[in-house]
Amino acid sequence: MKKFKKMLAFFMAFSLAAAMLAGCKSKPAQQGGDSTKGGGTENTVKDGGAQKTDEADSSQNATEVSIWHYFENEADALEKLVNDYNEMQDEIRITCTYVSREELMKQYTIGAVSGELPDIGMVDSPDMASYIALGVFEDITEDLNGWEDLQYFYDGPLSSCKDAEGRIYGLPNNSNCLALVCNMDLLNAAGYTKPPKTWDELKEIAAATTDPADSVYGFAMCAISNEEGTFQFIPWLYSAGATVSTLGSEIAVKSLSFLTELVNQGYMSKEVVNWSQGDAYNAFCAGKAAMLETGTWQVSTIDADVNGTFQYKYSLLPKDKEYSSVIGGENFGVCVGSKAKDACVEFLKYMQSAENNADWCEIAGKIPVRSDSATLKDMWTEDERYAVFTEGMNYAVARGPHEEWPTISEAVYSAVQSALIGEKTPADAMAGAAAIVDPIIAANPIAK
Amino acid sequence: MKMEARKRLEGFAFILPGFLYIVLILGYPLLYNFVLSFKNMDVKNFKTAASVFIGFKNYIFLFKDETFQLVFKNTFVFTVGCLVFQFVIGFVFALFFSKKFTLAGPIRGLILIAYMMPMAVTALLGKNIFGVSEGVVNDILMKTGMIKEPVEWLVSTGTAMIAVIAVNCWVGIPFNMLLLTSGLTGISDEIYDSAAVDGANFRQRFFHIILPLMRPAILSVLMLGFIYTFKAFDLMFVMTSGGPLNATDVLGTYAYNLSFTQYKFSLGAASAIVLFICLFAVGLFYLKLISKEED
Repeated sequence: MKKFKKMLAFFMAFSLAAAMLAGCKSKPAQQGGDSTKGGGTENTVKDGGAQKTDEADSSQNATEVSIWHYFENEADALEKLVNDYNEMQDEIRITCTYVSREELMKQYTIGAVSGELPDIGMVDSPDMASYIALGVFEDITEDLNGWEDLQYFYDGPLSSCKDAEGRIYGLPNNSNCLALVCNMDLLNAAGYTKPPKTWDELKEIAAATTDPADSVYGFAMCAISNEEGTFQFIPWLYSAGATVSTLGSEIAVKSLSFLTELVNQGYMSKEVVNWSQGDAYNAFCAGKAAMLETGTWQVSTIDADVNGTFQYKYSLLPKDKEYSSVIGGENFGVCVGSKAKDACVEFLKYMQSAENNADWCEIAGKIPVRSDSATLKDMWTEDERYAVFTEGMNYAVARGPHEEWPTISEAVYSAVQSALIGEKTPADAMAGAAAIVDPIIAANPIAK
Repeated sequence: MKMEARKRLEGFAFILPGFLYIVLILGYPLLYNFVLSFKNMDVKNFKTAASVFIGFKNYIFLFKDETFQLVFKNTFVFTVGCLVFQFVIGFVFALFFSKKFTLAGPIRGLILIAYMMPMAVTALLGKNIFGVSEGVVNDILMKTGMIKEPVEWLVSTGTAMIAVIAVNCWVGIPFNMLLLTSGLTGISDEIYDSAAVDGANFRQRFFHIILPLMRPAILSVLMLGFIYTFKAFDLMFVMTSGGPLNATDVLGTYAYNLSFTQYKFSLGAASAIVLFICLFAVGLFYLKLISKEED
């Protein structure tokens, strides 16, 4: 029995230590060099092997500015931008720190209480409204007064940095939207030479390219139970003519019925309810899906991942009533309590200047947030893959901005999930979502 | 008298570090959470600090909420399901590996690998193993002819919990086995010998010697198991995100989601307190059993 007690004590101590060490995870890791693949929230925490960005301490009196971000593939590009900035002047010294996305969002929420925030923080655009409401970001409207460049920012991305009164809390960094990419080898084999333009064509081609024997599905998307699921559903909702304010309408039901039908007919795997955007993309690259609802950020890696095994082609997402897409992207805001607010705003202005935004988006494979950046390089019009997304931005709708977007989003993705797995009919599912969302929007309409 | 007072003071000095640790690190957050659960703090009134005390409204809301009812039920189904399987199988393994045969030790060590693995890794493995079209489990079941159509493990609300329980048992079995093995080694060989002399068969030995002598060990294993399993978080968080449709959502993941995704801080605090109260009750029950045992 003595041995048993010893053993028990060991386990107790072990689990206690584990619990305590788990707390250490919240400490953000310094930015390392390498990056991990995968879009969206499928990020990896990297705690070890890190080093600071800044070089030799040349300027001791410089104002220190810390940036927390969750860029992975784009980390090197950010490093370069920051290093260039540190070298060109000696007033401000920027330090970048990588924090996994999940962890960073948690840190903001905790930081809102404890006050432990970086000087500048990165955030996914639909989440910004909530963090503004929580008091994570500083109002920089006055600081941007008289900055002529502001007029060149696209309305959609910039609006995600504002509160209901139109005060500005940060600057958008990049944009992306969703489009369709087709495995042309599979389409050709089924007798189709062009990507589908309408829902009917999509369904027809999905039917023709689905091959259960080889577990190939006609279409793949992400319908996971988080923001990504909502992001991927929005284009279908809006294409039918509905919005998040009219979830209970017949047309909203129609959009969900269409996707449910794809699953019920076997053209789309039911497993999409567990797939992140990265998972769906991997299925497409492995040749397991003929068509994919895909994001701008996936263009930069697709050649390497498909590795020449098939020809692919991008097109706008097929439409019902009208073409539709959804705006994604990241913003950078100055955090409340920063002692270097002026320096932060200076750096944000530099980072989002026309040239830097163009350079940055070219390297990172994203769409600029300024109209004058987009004309500086021909990548977004000449590269036909990016040209599709550039066109798609014309049809892309923003999510929110609304401080209770997470609750709205949960209602939407839950409705999609319950219909796709057959737990509810599309009509019941949408009615359920409307019951949650309608009162929220009635009390506090989405800012225009 | 003076001496005694000094000794007393010394005693207090010795417990001071532990006492401070408990008050500052455990007590304060717990109290803060408790207070928070009686307020209405959320994203709308957080910045203005306009949240007010609303009594038990959060708790009433939670227990009337269908999702919370499901989550509450899930937590118990998951815990009991895991406990039953991991305890029974763990006990069988413990009995088996207490026999002295070649490689018994090394094999027992190897089984422990599952316990050593970080839960996030186990959860990712589980997600792949229980995949519908590419998963190993379906592949084996199909090839052996046990099923005709692939089972939609993590996709269907009916089967997702089974898959999650199975993966958790994979980790729980070695844990149970190890603790029970050390309990078994505490029973001296002489007792077995005299039982053998008296002609007791295995069943009699098990029910009349092993079980009664192992009672304290079994109780501890079950209680520890209950506490570990009841507060599960990382497995669901990585493997299913609580889905599909909250089918594998448990109190831990639900409270996290309320607080850190929905920013409904007070509701999140209330559901965390529910989790705490359940575990606290189990803890009290355990203490009572132990003291009874010692009497």
